[in-house]
Amino acid sequence: MSISEEAVRNIFRIASGVSTSGQIKRDKLMKEKKIKKVLIANRGEIAIRICRAIHEEGLKAVAIYETPDQESRHLREADESIWIGDGPRKDYLDIDKVIWAAKKTECQAIHPGYGFLAENPDLAKACEEEGLIFIGPNYKAIKDLGDKTIARSIAESVRIPVIPAGKVLPREEESALEKALQFSKEEGFPVMLKAVAGGGGRGIRKIETEEELKLQLPIAAKEAKSAFGDEKLYLEKGIKRPRHVEVQILADHHGNVIHLGTRDCSIQRRHQKLVEIAPAPTILGSEVEKKICEAAVLFAKVSGYRNAGTVEFLVDQENNFYFLEINTRLQVEHTVTELVTGIDIVRRQIRIAEGMSLDITQDEVVCKGSAIEMRINAEDPKRDFAPESGKVVSVYQSPGGPGIRLDGTVYQGYKVPKEYDSLLVKLSVYGFDWNEMISRAVRALKDFIIVGPKTTIPFYLRLLQEKEFLEKKFDTEYIDRHPELFDYKPLEREEAKIAKAIAMIHHTKHNPFSM
Amino acid sequence: MRITPNIPPEQGLKMLREAKGYFITNTARDLSQSDFKNRILLHTDLLVAEERDEAGFFSLEISGGASIHVDMLRKLVNPFEKLRLLRKHMPRTMFQTLCRGVNLFGYRPYPENVIRLTVQEFAKYIEVWRVFDFLNHIPNMIPVFEEVKKAGKYLEPAICFSTGPEHTDEFYVGKVKEIIDITGSDIILAIKNHSGLGTPARIGRLIRAILDKFPDLIIHYHGHNTDGNDVARIVAAVKAGAKIVDAGDHAMTGFFGPPPILTVIQTLLDEGYEAEGINIDAVIATSNKLKRVRQAYEPFESQFKGFDPTVHIHKLPGGAMGSSFEQAVKGGFLDKMPEILIEELPKVHRELGNFWSVTPGSQILWTTAVTHVLSGTRYKNASEDLKRLLLERYGPFPFYKPSDEIYEVVFGSNWKKIVATESGREEITPIDLKEEKKKLEEGIGRKASTEDLVLYLQHPKDAVDFFKFEEEYGKTYVLGPEIWYRKGGFEVGETVRFRDYTGKYHQITIGPSSHTEDGEIITYLMVDHHPEPFVYEPEKEEKKEEKKRSIEELMLLAEMGEICATTDGTIVEVRVKEGDEVKEGDIIAILEAMKMLNNITSPVTGEVKQVPVKEGQQVKVGDLIARIKPKRKSDS
Repeated sequence: MSISEEAVRNIFRIASGVSTSGQIKRDKLMKEKKIKKVLIANRGEIAIRICRAIHEEGLKAVAIYETPDQESRHLREADESIWIGDGPRKDYLDIDKVIWAAKKTECQAIHPGYGFLAENPDLAKACEEEGLIFIGPNYKAIKDLGDKTIARSIAESVRIPVIPAGKVLPREEESALEKALQFSKEEGFPVMLKAVAGGGGRGIRKIETEEELKLQLPIAAKEAKSAFGDEKLYLEKGIKRPRHVEVQILADHHGNVIHLGTRDCSIQRRHQKLVEIAPAPTILGSEVEKKICEAAVLFAKVSGYRNAGTVEFLVDQENNFYFLEINTRLQVEHTVTELVTGIDIVRRQIRIAEGMSLDITQDEVVCKGSAIEMRINAEDPKRDFAPESGKVVSVYQSPGGPGIRLDGTVYQGYKVPKEYDSLLVKLSVYGFDWNEMISRAVRALKDFIIVGPKTTIPFYLRLLQEKEFLEKKFDTEYIDRHPELFDYKPLEREEAKIAKAIAMIHHTKHNPFSM
Repeated sequence: MRITPNIPPEQGLKMLREAKGYFITNTARDLSQSDFKNRILLHTDLLVAEERDEAGFFSLEISGGASIHVDMLRKLVNPFEKLRLLRKHMPRTMFQTLCRGVNLFGYRPYPENVIRLTVQEFAKYIEVWRVFDFLNHIPNMIPVFEEVKKAGKYLEPAICFSTGPEHTDEFYVGKVKEIIDITGSDIILAIKNHSGLGTPARIGRLIRAILDKFPDLIIHYHGHNTDGNDVARIVAAVKAGAKIVDAGDHAMTGFFGPPPILTVIQTLLDEGYEAEGINIDAVIATSNKLKRVRQAYEPFESQFKGFDPTVHIHKLPGGAMGSSFEQAVKGGFLDKMPEILIEELPKVHRELGNFWSVTPGSQILWTTAVTHVLSGTRYKNASEDLKRLLLERYGPFPFYKPSDEIYEVVFGSNWKKIVATESGREEITPIDLKEEKKKLEEGIGRKASTEDLVLYLQHPKDAVDFFKFEEEYGKTYVLGPEIWYRKGGFEVGETVRFRDYTGKYHQITIGPSSHTEDGEIITYLMVDHHPEPFVYEPEKEEKKEEKKRSIEELMLLAEMGEICATTDGTIVEVRVKEGDEVKEGDIIAILEAMKMLNNITSPVTGEVKQVPVKEGQQVKVGDLIARIKPKRKSDS
């Protein structure tokens, strides 16, 4: 390494928070282990997940809610709950209200979960100013690392490979096209057209030809403007059939950084993750697995990162890897890492935020077995995963037994909200090895009884029985290559069908089918 | 001696010829059709499958006739799946079907490729094929004969039996010869006495006459107990040399189906004839089990209990007795039944050629007689099937043709030309089976098997409806008759237990019901301990609102004489009544709306045909107030 960590830190001034009275108060809290009560600035399953960790830490949890969520389960799990407005999706995003709620309920810390304000540096900043502990990295890290070009520069500075990319394209259309064409000629098609402010798989277009580039460029700019409030675009070299591999890291305030191994999130639909597996099975035990983990730790160190984070990479068919970005928050799929390492990431997040040193060294992290997470959503995969909003889950029965972990918000009588996401429950399955994990996951999926909305369960069942998947031959183009996964029959239990017939005989007072 | 499905037919026929005693066919299908309107469920047949298999029958008649249709239409069971399940539990008993020649299991002739495919598919499960034609027109049965022989199964051509001056032994012996000339003598010949006609002496004479001419022929006597005397006919048949006879389980025997197996066995034993292969204990055990479920089938028994010796006059087949009475009750002409059965039906039967009253001929005779009595006219409103009969589309009249007068009434003054040009057995061109399969697959939204196609070819609409039912409601044959035929709903807290088709055990407990504001009924069923709501919208049809008409449309209607309310309100006065003459501008009624009295005037001159409103009645926009037949200008 030619550049020292300290130098990099100075270049980007990442860890340099403003020294205010809030900062002093926060530091004092951290020193005195003063977190007694945590406000969860989120809803749904992740609010419940965080609540569990808070309770296990012996602390109190406060839930916030918008009016449409007043029946939600996360309110029942928390010790207190506080209404913050009619919403929807407005008050959960309102930093002032969240800070107000935390102070009103006398919380010392805020956990943002994922989504909503999790990657908004202003919440972290507001916490610092108000003397609250933000359970996550500091606001400067969120802000700077949220900018992909800055993140790339850090990676490049320590020679972590990045995908060849052009500079931010000029605003003016003609010169933008000129620059874009030049880049495409140099790197060759396909190229990826990306919004600077995009994230979570949004604002990405794969461009195969020059014609397509001309057509898509203005559309992408407009879309970026309306979706992210920033029309800036840039181009990246397209990697053929890449695998999406990410590394979970934990970093404390005392310079300790460890990784918790890899996750494979290649099974995606339109850049949205459908299935996550830990550790990444396609590179398990290989040299590249080691390199990626080391790169992730290095990246965290040079960027002065704190708390839990995820460093994302693409791995091409020749096992070359490229840094993508760092997610400065807890991920949906953190559960699979918890299953294979036995380490509770959310509890570590709280302790790190309190200023405690990591209680685990890298040597103590052992990834054992294999784990898979599937998002059981109230969606119809056949209709482009359209949410089944408004439908009521009239029957809910969940699987149990060995190796099953459920993180859910659903219950019998649950109404799929039209205001929020359609996630019912995350199914995470652990197996001693890949095959045990697969057969257990199939069993668990079959053991679900969900009546009312259509769900992603039959789709996952098809996936778990597909040959290429079983042979671990998947990459980010896997779903596009397997349209047959959507060709399944709706799952309906035989006894439920017969119950319908019995109900008809009961209701009509005779058998309407036999008269 | 016992003949089982694994014995090749050649050897089986040899065993039949050499047997000292006689064999018994359990006609469960015919019993269900004759005495329980075809409603006995597979569930019940499976309940006694092991006992029946132990009983040692020559065969179990369990398929064919109307059963293919009713299985799908009323019992919601796949006729093939039924045979597979029964075979699994009855490995030692041959299954028998009743096939209506070119009409197969339906009511009209099928194309030859359909006949062949159908026989091929059913022959995978059916060992004994009884084939008949209601005109005893042997060519109508040939394609089935050929396919059964090809499949290596027992071919059992039937001669339908009836009585009357034309129905002589010579005639029937001639028919038997006609059959044997085609099939050879390695067949079983059925005497199909579907109405249970003739005296025991008559049946004995007939069988002796046939055996005199064809001594090696194996005869299978089939009768009905409508007059209460079929045991005597069976005894006479066996004494005359019949080797197989039809009877039913005594627990289920009624009046129009087969007589009890046990009575036949006991009676013949004293005459010196032993029932071959029969285990009497198993016969009794079967009925002991059946007795427990019979009550659930009571609603399907004939409205009229008791034997009917007048069958010798009206000659209705046993299989049509229950449904005829049911039709009379539903149609409200029960009081006309004596006239229909004793006078008109025998008259029509004679007039139309005294052929055999069995499907589809029996339906034609019955419908014609009922129409005559109810309408008071004869042959005027001939059904299409009667026309087809008269044009000999089904085949030639066996004895004589109906009179010219009947043809004239049915076809009009031009009848001779119609008869000359359109008569004769129709040649039905083969249909494109691939095309039919495509249609079926479109109808059910999935791939269809050959079996599915065969069912579809028999009854296209009902097969599609059945497949859709099964998709929606599962395999309901697992439910017993006390569930399937439940009347008045279930008790709250009542538990229904069943094993689904895969063998998995389930229980459904009936929970409370509640009404929603929309008039829906929601009942909670505990399905395997989980409450699940089931919503029912009663009287869906009524909920469909009539298309709202615009005021413009209502004004136009008024000009045509249909005067409707154009505002909501209350009728306070009606000025006209039916038959009144009204002039343009005359007041029809007075409607109070928004506290204002509005005159409803007639925009036309004419005669009042209808005034459906009364004083004080609330009306809504579009409700009819009066209908007036406008007087045309030329009328005045």
